[in-house]
Amino acid sequence: MPAPPQHEQVEDEVIIDRGELSENAEADRDRIRVLAGSSETAASFQFDGEDHTLGNALRYIIMKNPDVEFCGYSIPHPSENKLNLRIQTYDNINVYTVLEKGLNDLMDMCDVISEKFVVARDGFYATTTDKNDNDDDNGGQQGGEEGGEAMEE
Amino acid sequence: MPEPTAEELARRNRLQILPETVSDQTSTDFPGHWPGENHEWNLEHFRKNFKVQFHSDGTAFLLEKQNHAIPKHRRIDQVFSLIGLDASIANAFRRILIAEVPTLAIEDVFIYQNTSIIQDEVFAHRLGLIPLCADRLSLHNMGWYIKPTEGESNGNELTDENCVILHLQVKCEWKEGGLEKAAKGETNPNELYVNHSVYARDLVWQKHGRQLEWPEDDPVRAVYPDILIAKMRPGQEVIMKLHAYKGIGQDHAKFSPVATASYRLLPTIDILKPIVGADAKKFADCFPPGVIGLDEVTSEDAQKHDELQGKEGELKAVVANPFNDTVSREALRHAEFKDKVKLGRVRDHFIFRVESTGQWDSDELFLQSVQLLKTKAQRIKRGLDLMMK
Amino acid sequence: MSNYAGAADTTAGAANPNMNASEIDSHQRAVSYTCGDCDQDVQLRRGEPIRCRNCGHRVLYKKRTNRMVQFEAR
Repeated sequence: MPAPPQHEQVEDEVIIDRGELSENAEADRDRIRVLAGSSETAASFQFDGEDHTLGNALRYIIMKNPDVEFCGYSIPHPSENKLNLRIQTYDNINVYTVLEKGLNDLMDMCDVISEKFVVARDGFYATTTDKNDNDDDNGGQQGGEEGGEAMEE
Repeated sequence: MPEPTAEELARRNRLQILPETVSDQTSTDFPGHWPGENHEWNLEHFRKNFKVQFHSDGTAFLLEKQNHAIPKHRRIDQVFSLIGLDASIANAFRRILIAEVPTLAIEDVFIYQNTSIIQDEVFAHRLGLIPLCADRLSLHNMGWYIKPTEGESNGNELTDENCVILHLQVKCEWKEGGLEKAAKGETNPNELYVNHSVYARDLVWQKHGRQLEWPEDDPVRAVYPDILIAKMRPGQEVIMKLHAYKGIGQDHAKFSPVATASYRLLPTIDILKPIVGADAKKFADCFPPGVIGLDEVTSEDAQKHDELQGKEGELKAVVANPFNDTVSREALRHAEFKDKVKLGRVRDHFIFRVESTGQWDSDELFLQSVQLLKTKAQRIKRGLDLMMK
Repeated sequence: MSNYAGAADTTAGAANPNMNASEIDSHQRAVSYTCGDCDQDVQLRRGEPIRCRNCGHRVLYKKRTNRMVQFEAR
């Protein structure tokens, strides 16, 4: 079984899904189900209010786990806000730990992306004193010249 | 454990563009795909390989095009590359940008008078789609207003923290001497009437409670003041009160913070055999300007390639800037370039373009989307933990 | 879809200054119409001939009320 749950501080900002607030953790608990026929090494989870956004990202990160034999997701019906995620593991590895690791890895990845994005952005801003003359390596996709002269600050 | 060479990795990351098809579309960086290789998720490996690159943005061009109410230093049309990422993750950010990053938009319209020829419901619809902007910290701190559903007591109270109230009151009248001018045959409405057009700039914010503390110099207003909402003639009038709430694009497109948020993969062009002379010029014309350059054939080149012998001084095609390629495949249609060029894309190089509607900067939006994906995972984890208890 | 004025208007927004329901009573229930020909305002009381005082035109248009109608901006 997975390690005892550690309560992480969940950011309160933007906890909304299709107009339903869920500030309490109980609401989150109700959004997850384990579908019938599950075992320790193979289970289908159902998440309410999630879609391809989380489904595909989670699928990818779980498939990066070498203990995972199979991972796939589906939206059972387009008019229901539900996401089914199937995980099968090798060698008596517990599916719940695998799912938890997947979620942790995804969160870690988000942190790295944020961090690196901020560094790259600040670096870019520092090099472009005037935003109009930033003729960098690849060139703007549009409007480089036209916007250039007219907007002096 | 055998480590693939950098060359091999680059080859694996290449999506091939063939005349009628694409191949090598899917990622293969999973454990078990390449025998003997370890593709387990590794945060340090990811940290080392993931790169972000900013490119010149189109904000200046965008703001140049039209009158706007936001400062010039705002960057609302940014282009940046995320390199070393899987499509599923990049796509998650794109989807979140379009549908899940919250913005403020007009939702409820209370019409006291509308004698314009625009029907009430159409008028209301048009108002909803007007992009608004305000002090971003204050907007960020705004709460959600949940409408009560019929016959139930769910939903929450309307307060200064979750609702912004705007007024729109415009009455069209004859200009002084307008009637006489009209009798003489004048038809220009600017000469005849006052307030014959209702613009987004006519929206007036009515502060309430804590909103009085919001910065003075950054009121709630339309991003583009010149958006035409309705046209009127003398005697016609609109009087309405508007409630703007925070919402997400999934609920209604008016809440979407972006005009578009999209990515494309970095195109690659490989010239396999030299293309010289008139062919080189023709080859360059198969691509957008600047993508293919023309260099002189040097004696070194001539020694390296048999085809180039005796052609020193002629022009040959070189790849100058594949970033700007549209991947039109035009080069693949001509027999003379057969087997001389290979088109492709880099599967893990995503060139994002985030065109904001003006409420937020593009980079702020992207960071919010990353944060939102993390929050999604956190919520599932929280639920899972409770379930396992 | 629209709801007629009701609970929705109890917000901090305050009533609109142009709402003047009591004005109608002060004119002894005179109702204001617009002439179909000369566009003049015509005040009519019960029993009066339906006719414009200005030009004599017999087609008068009823004005839209100031009653609030609520719409969703969707």
